[in-house]
Amino acid sequence: MQAIDDYINSVRFLPAAPRVVPELMKLLNQTDVDSSKVVKLVSFDPALTANVLRICNSAYFGAATPTSDLQEAVTRLGFQQVYQLVAAATGARMLGAAQPGYGFDQGELWKHSVAVAVTAQLMAKKLGDDENLVFTAALLHDIGKIILSQALQSVYPKLVKETEINQQSLLESEKKILGVQHAEVGARLLERWKFPPSIVSAVWFHHTPKGAGKHQRLAAYVYMADMIAHFMGHGYGHMAFALRGRSDALTILGITSESIPQFLMESFDQINTVEALFTLAA
Amino acid sequence: MVGMADLMVSQNQSMILCTFPLGSCLGIAIYDPVARLGGVLHSMLPDSSIDPQRAAARPGMFLDTGLALLLEHAGNLKSKKENLLIYVAGGSEIMDETACFNIGKRNYEVLTGLLAKQGLKIHAADVGGLTNRTMQLNLGTGEVRLKFSGQAKMKMLCKP
Repeated sequence: MQAIDDYINSVRFLPAAPRVVPELMKLLNQTDVDSSKVVKLVSFDPALTANVLRICNSAYFGAATPTSDLQEAVTRLGFQQVYQLVAAATGARMLGAAQPGYGFDQGELWKHSVAVAVTAQLMAKKLGDDENLVFTAALLHDIGKIILSQALQSVYPKLVKETEINQQSLLESEKKILGVQHAEVGARLLERWKFPPSIVSAVWFHHTPKGAGKHQRLAAYVYMADMIAHFMGHGYGHMAFALRGRSDALTILGITSESIPQFLMESFDQINTVEALFTLAA
Repeated sequence: MVGMADLMVSQNQSMILCTFPLGSCLGIAIYDPVARLGGVLHSMLPDSSIDPQRAAARPGMFLDTGLALLLEHAGNLKSKKENLLIYVAGGSEIMDETACFNIGKRNYEVLTGLLAKQGLKIHAADVGGLTNRTMQLNLGTGEVRLKFSGQAKMKMLCKP
């Protein structure tokens, strides 16, 4: 843990802590959410509010008359939907930029994150788990990459070569070259930002879901949705497919590999939602 | 752009048909230098029998129905099968010893079977591996190029 903290402390650029999302998450489990509380929390961040309203009014989510009022947006779309838009707008801010350390062009890490989030959510809906929790963990699963990308930029050719020659996963190459890997760094960052332990654990173990202990189901959703997003073409950077197959993710979720094509098709059906969320980082 | 789970055939010489990043999907480009036409298909899954309803609405999603329609469109524009050049890209694979996640490999196996049944051969292919790609077919020249994710330089798959 100390090595991870030391690493995080040593980087030049750390994104500002997303304060609103962890606070909103505390309200998610309440049956009767006071919408003025939601509005007050989100309004703390005017840029975030503007972005949420912009997407509320977009062709995809929009109603006949656009709204410039967050309270109205919450009334119209409901807290759950607004929560997801706030999480997405927050994610877009952090994940939208190019990450040369991984060979990601502008917007590519964001596209990947959105595809994983929407796919994980549809799986959770189908299998009867908490959609918002799954959506959030999936959306932020690669947050550690924005930290490691800074160091990897100068050694990117080495990362690619190590991965290719040793036939190891990108995660294993990161650990070898930097001493830390993106899943643990991302998880620790989310922990510092006061995200709930379930999210922290799911992000930490999103390449090895079994390791997440009591949160392994959440981690397995992120793992599976990550695979499916890759299969659908939303895996960017060189050697994007240098990922290990973990069949225990299927066992944890109580599904078989036969369900993968079904989830692929359903993920394709969500393409409009995915594209609407892409625009958040535009 | 040819969408995911979609296909296009055209005689417009000024067009470049381009897929989205393919992942484990397959991009299939056909080019007929005699009839001067070409087409591109972006299929996600091997076999339409898992969801015939979906296949009816979106034949390009599956290799069997997508390939049949691609060849039908080319045939309607007076292309002869024996003149067709066929190119394939995509089908990326993760590192998976358990073979639970081998969609890319399955796609390519099924495609080669479907082509053999039609008496067609693949002219050039770049499939499998750990990298995501997009495919472009230039209808003016018949050139097929690949763009690999995370790499600036494009690869020429064929130059007729």
